Amino acid sequence: MNCAIKSPAQRRFVRASLISATLVVVLAVGAAVTFRLWHLKGLPAYPVAVLPALPILWVLFETGRFLAVEKDEFQRNLLVQCMLGGIGGTLATTTAWGYLEAFAHVPRLQAVWVYPIFWLFVVIAWPVVYRRYK
Amino acid sequence: MMGCTNNPAARRYYRRVTYTMFVYALLLVVSVVAFTRHHPTGLLAYVLAVLPALPIVGMMVVFGLYLREEKDEVQRAIGVEALVWSTGATLSLTTVWGFLENFVHVPHLQLMWIYPIFWVFFGISMPMINARYK
Repeated sequence: MNCAIKSPAQRRFVRASLISATLVVVLAVGAAVTFRLWHLKGLPAYPVAVLPALPILWVLFETGRFLAVEKDEFQRNLLVQCMLGGIGGTLATTTAWGYLEAFAHVPRLQAVWVYPIFWLFVVIAWPVVYRRYK
Repeated sequence: MMGCTNNPAARRYYRRVTYTMFVYALLLVVSVVAFTRHHPTGLLAYVLAVLPALPIVGMMVVFGLYLREEKDEVQRAIGVEALVWSTGATLSLTTVWGFLENFVHVPHLQLMWIYPIFWVFFGISMPMINARYK
């Protein structure tokens, strides 16, 4: 999918992912600067804190849309299996780290890293799943 | 998927889920008891923390097997949609919470809760998607 983007659904998905990644960085830096300069507290702090998460919600929505509109069943299956690998890896990692946090006092893993960890596992799963179909 | 007990793929899925959950519960008890009574450190602590995470990967493998074995396209689509929704909802929740942790200093989300949160979302989305397909 990432090597030869053929269908409009794939193009849309890849474009949304790239724009979203850029927006997350821009909004996270913007939120950090806002908190540093204006020391937001209480109710106004919540929308600013949630703002960087919005592009992430958008890309998740685009993932669902890709699975709904992509006509190539092979590409759909590929993404579904990679997502299974992604969520499986993420849940296993967070559970293991959670126990280490609670009992072995390892450094805290911020919940904000769960989303990048998910996509990291999706990327790791991609060549494995792809090779199985070849 | 939920109500189709006559479906061989679903029956196999439920049987495998039961075994995997049993192994999960067993390893969880072993891990928690070992941590609370013997306070292991170093490599042993890591091994004990990783133990309950293994059946979590197993659950995803079981779900992947179900998707491959299920002949009914509608049931497969319902399963995939529930996976996408629960993955999306879990990642959205952890991302929003993560930014709130960073900026508004809400309490730290214990990572070991992410796995149950995922299945709560899966359980909520399944009947809703099922109803839509009826």
